Amino acid sequence: MRPTQLFAAVCAALTLFAASPARADVNVVTTLPDLAALAKAVGGKHVQVQALALSSQDPHFVDAKPNLALALNRADLLIAVGLELEVGWLPTLQVGARNSKILVGAPGYLVASQFVKLLEVPTVQVDRGQGDVHPGGNPHFLYDPRQALAVAKGIADRLAQLDPENAEAYRANLATFTTELEKARADWEKRLAALRGQPVIAYHRTTAYLSDWLGFETIAYLEPKPGIPPNPSHVAGVLAQGRQRKARMLLMESYYPDTTARLVASKIPAPLVTLHGGTDFKAGETYIQHINEMVERLEKGLAGKGT
Amino acid sequence: MDTRSRAVRGAVIAVSLTPWLMASSALAQAPAAPPSDAPVQEEEAAPPSLTPEELKEIEDALGSDASASQQRAPSGTATPPPSAIPGATGGISLPGMNTGAGANFLDLSFILDVAAAAFTDKEPMQSGAHDPTRNGFNLQQLELSIGSVVDPYFRFDGNIVFSQFGVEIEEAYGTTLALPYNLQVRAGQFLTRFGRINPTHPHSWDFVDQPFAVGRIFGGEGNRGLGTEVSWLAPLPWYVEVLGSITDATGEATARSFLGATSERVQSPLDLQATGAVKQFFPLSDDLSLMWGLSTATGPNPTGHRNRTDVFGTDIYLRYRPVTQAYNTTLITFQTEAYYRRRQVPGDVLTDFNLYAQTAWRFSPRWATALRYELGTAARGEGGARITDPLDPEWTESRNRVSVNATFWPTEFSRLRLQAARDRAGWRDEAGYSLMLALELVTGAHGAHAF
Repeated sequence: MRPTQLFAAVCAALTLFAASPARADVNVVTTLPDLAALAKAVGGKHVQVQALALSSQDPHFVDAKPNLALALNRADLLIAVGLELEVGWLPTLQVGARNSKILVGAPGYLVASQFVKLLEVPTVQVDRGQGDVHPGGNPHFLYDPRQALAVAKGIADRLAQLDPENAEAYRANLATFTTELEKARADWEKRLAALRGQPVIAYHRTTAYLSDWLGFETIAYLEPKPGIPPNPSHVAGVLAQGRQRKARMLLMESYYPDTTARLVASKIPAPLVTLHGGTDFKAGETYIQHINEMVERLEKGLAGKGT
Repeated sequence: MDTRSRAVRGAVIAVSLTPWLMASSALAQAPAAPPSDAPVQEEEAAPPSLTPEELKEIEDALGSDASASQQRAPSGTATPPPSAIPGATGGISLPGMNTGAGANFLDLSFILDVAAAAFTDKEPMQSGAHDPTRNGFNLQQLELSIGSVVDPYFRFDGNIVFSQFGVEIEEAYGTTLALPYNLQVRAGQFLTRFGRINPTHPHSWDFVDQPFAVGRIFGGEGNRGLGTEVSWLAPLPWYVEVLGSITDATGEATARSFLGATSERVQSPLDLQATGAVKQFFPLSDDLSLMWGLSTATGPNPTGHRNRTDVFGTDIYLRYRPVTQAYNTTLITFQTEAYYRRRQVPGDVLTDFNLYAQTAWRFSPRWATALRYELGTAARGEGGARITDPLDPEWTESRNRVSVNATFWPTEFSRLRLQAARDRAGWRDEAGYSLMLALELVTGAHGAHAF
């Protein structure tokens, strides 16, 4: 082989390697399964979706397992909640993934919190003496279907930008999802109308958006400060408050230890309602099914039955 | 081979690497898309296919643009163009205060490790540079950890350690962000990724002190040096990372089994330390993970011309965290690492074996307990005879140490740890006992944890 031919062959090989292969699907990786469910709802058959965390897992403390970096290595779009929820584990994975498409600032990195009307944004100076505060605002907004819809719209726009050929399909999927979710939301709000104005106790500050949507009042948290486990004197105070205000239920995610919560619930007495931290996307659950399941649990709680 | 031809070979390697690195950064630039705050217009999106003529036109245009901008480029590289740092009005922005849509140019955090310790031995055999070493209060370290994205192509990380009598650059390196073919390069001063514990800092350890194997083989600071590392993520269905690095082989506390405190002139690549490792990860289930690594390091030692030291290691990390079970915050880890060292010395080859195995159990969200066993054999010569080890002349018998501790984390930013150990060195008359109470405080940016 003559040198020029060899050079041409090497160039051709490099071009082949560098050119991204024609692919039908956009490979989407999300940090939380709720985001995965929303991405699947608007992406439909044009996207492959994978969530890094499980719905049963505390999103603050996910292990940066190397296989998650492998998923990010192959991703075209990474969707995160933001607001420092994933700060303890996502940055390591993003650097380790060796994929410049999904780094901060690239079109393949989408922070969902930008589409949300944020709550509990500190207006005064904060430090860690207040516990695990999120200086950008409360990141647990996916319990509120109205915020989830705003996020779904943001995801659809970004998918249309990354994959313009299927932009129409994404818009159509979004329209379908919007109709379904709004219809379901009207039904949920009707079923939980009795919760409006009711006093409720929560474990962690995860209920801000839920109470904003459903109108209940979170009168106390079992954690004395976000991320600090309950201690006896604080728990005694919460119990007294719960009795005095006649708390209707106690809300907590299944990834927190339940002993204290069960004790307080039985002493008030009020039902302990366990919330699934997210959509069980791995098992094929949709976002609407997930919220519906949560609404059922809250309904049962209103009827005095715990879960 | 004489000295001159070795130098020539080194130069050839360096020269042949340069265009490759440049080509790869050019490739990396090619697919780079505009930042997300400048929304891509749909008509800007590339049509599915371009003709070769069109591609050629684009390349020509880019070529002439590049030469034009070269003429306009500032003559020095000391100051970046002011437009390169939009919004950087106040120098650094403090992390955590500016999230949401804020700028974040530098993540800073300070980690303080202090301990109170008591030893029964007059001269405790603590080999780690950050270990408590004497009765009373010990400043283990004050670590300033800095991290930032430099530009679309590099990230910078640094760990600067303050001790009572000085400041030390433990690590300061750049990591590439946009190399093609799943490659990543680190360059600067860094801890080599030999095994599992060597590349880590005290903040992520399960014990107050470092396994003595690391101090014995690599030195108190762990194996590190100025150099460069290339790592590759294999395109396989499971996680396989292959890496190789070349680092400076000197340093009493960082490359003890290699050139150590001697400072010989580097005359060929063989005068540097070469490290290679393969790391594999197996997610056995959502709750159980296994990581397995194989490592090797080779480099010159100062006992004679062309004498070399080789270290081989393997490490296993098992992690059980039942995230699929409701109300369960248990975490159980098992970690073990074994090192086999071979040193050429005048007229003989010394070999020895070191290992540690540890298990930790976090039984409540704030409490954990851990147990560690360590073993280090005496160096033996080729015939199996015990030879006086030039690095540790007193190490004539096996040494083993058992440590047990309990840890309490008020939050993830603070830690209290009480540790007891029994250290049995065969060459000492009796075992030594120790007790340590260590406090760690982390302030500043919330660092991300590696697996």
